[in-house]
Amino acid sequence: MRTQFTAGIALILACAAAAHAAELKVTVKDHKGKGVADAVVLAVPIDPRNAQRVRPQPDAVDQVDKEFVPYVKPIFVGSTVRFPNSDNIRHQVYSFSPVKKFELPLYGGTNAPPVTFDKPGVVILGCNIHDWMIGYIYVSETPFFAKTGPQGTVAFNDLPPGEYTVRIWHPSMDRAEETTSRRITLAAEAPASAEWQLGLKPSIRVPRVSGGASPSYP
Amino acid sequence: MRCQVPRTFSGAIRASLPAFLAFCAVSHTAHGDWTVATSAALSHDNNVSNAHSYASVVEDSSAAATVSVLQLMQVGENTSLAAGGNLSGQAYERLSGLNEASLEGVLSLKRKWGLGAFAPWARAGISLGRADYADGYRSATIYRASLEVGKRFDERVSLWANYGFEHRRASPTQAEFYGVSGDVFSQNGRALKAALQYSLNARISLGLGSLWRHGDVVSTTAAGTYLYANYKAVAPDPTFGAGAYAYKLNGTTYGARLGVDYSLSAHSLIGCGFQRLETHAQGGNNYSDSVPQLTWTYRF
Repeated sequence: MRTQFTAGIALILACAAAAHAAELKVTVKDHKGKGVADAVVLAVPIDPRNAQRVRPQPDAVDQVDKEFVPYVKPIFVGSTVRFPNSDNIRHQVYSFSPVKKFELPLYGGTNAPPVTFDKPGVVILGCNIHDWMIGYIYVSETPFFAKTGPQGTVAFNDLPPGEYTVRIWHPSMDRAEETTSRRITLAAEAPASAEWQLGLKPSIRVPRVSGGASPSYP
Repeated sequence: MRCQVPRTFSGAIRASLPAFLAFCAVSHTAHGDWTVATSAALSHDNNVSNAHSYASVVEDSSAAATVSVLQLMQVGENTSLAAGGNLSGQAYERLSGLNEASLEGVLSLKRKWGLGAFAPWARAGISLGRADYADGYRSATIYRASLEVGKRFDERVSLWANYGFEHRRASPTQAEFYGVSGDVFSQNGRALKAALQYSLNARISLGLGSLWRHGDVVSTTAAGTYLYANYKAVAPDPTFGAGAYAYKLNGTTYGARLGVDYSLSAHSLIGCGFQRLETHAQGGNNYSDSVPQLTWTYRF
């Protein structure tokens, strides 16, 4: 009886909290109107009291078929990321990015030690064995962040009401991240939506397969 | 295209083939740093006979396929050893005597100076192979050694160069011919190659390559035509018809290749290329080859 009562109180509190949460739906499109996947959307509350005390969560970036999965991984600053290797070959993961320089010596399986990302910014991942492998970790200074899906949309369902600076980052965007900033005021029970249009640079990657450019003597 | 398996599929390849297939099977199942690649090509050579005189020029088309299996072993922070093999075959549309199957074992040591895709690298390699032709007198054991250096400048541009020696030791079946050696198909050569690859966009890349080669070349004349030079060896070459003769000469070849590749997926690409070779052989027996080519490559 007492357990049921406690559960009921918890449910009421949760519903009350949800009732006071604000919603924001963000759509990111390219210049042709097509949804942009893998764009990181960051909502920074103007009132720091709205930045709830969120504990960084452990996270992971896998390596599958000699690619980083996911291609873009947003995390909260201070988070620890593991780099499991699901391939049956070894990888040597590294980053030269000023935000976090590190190197994981050649390893297979889940043997690599986790890496803590304690500064906000963009970390570019590579593999010293497989030159075409590239991945991105976006270390967010705000706990309110998310990544767009294949349709270029993402929804925040539990933001504290208030004023936010919302900005976008994408690995191929053709302008500075700061230029995407917008102020958006969110109120409880009044879902908001916003749309960004990003110019994307052509994504040139080190080719995984190369043709035979050299002539050969018969 | 008629495909004829070499009639003289020698014991060497016959014995090596199961080992190679076992090697492939192990590479598929083993937990190791294996790389497997396959490629195929259709090409047309407007001077397969490497002939100087127009009357002796023979052109033909061919289809070729290769399977490569390599195991990569990291032996230091930036040093890796690769060991493996290539199994390949080529079939000609008309000159079935040139159909061949070959098996090659390769060993190479690669060093990178630094971490990442843009670090310069060098690779030293040796290989031992056997090429068996349908017309068995062409069959040879092939020894190669090479030194390669390269550097990727950014995501678009990559440059590399290769200097290599090749020694082909043909089956000693060719008798002396009028006091001149009949060992035409044993050859030595050294070559310098350089290549530049430029990615136009995410799918299309251009390749530009050049070649300098100096050493033995084989030029075949049709029945009733002869080379008047101090050739190093001469032998009948029935691959090109009765009365044809193959001459071994000293020559220098200059070549260039321009190609375009299109990525079908992360693993595969198709390409087309055009190769032009100009050979200056002793006695003024110069000849040229033009080879347009369609290629397909798949890397697992």
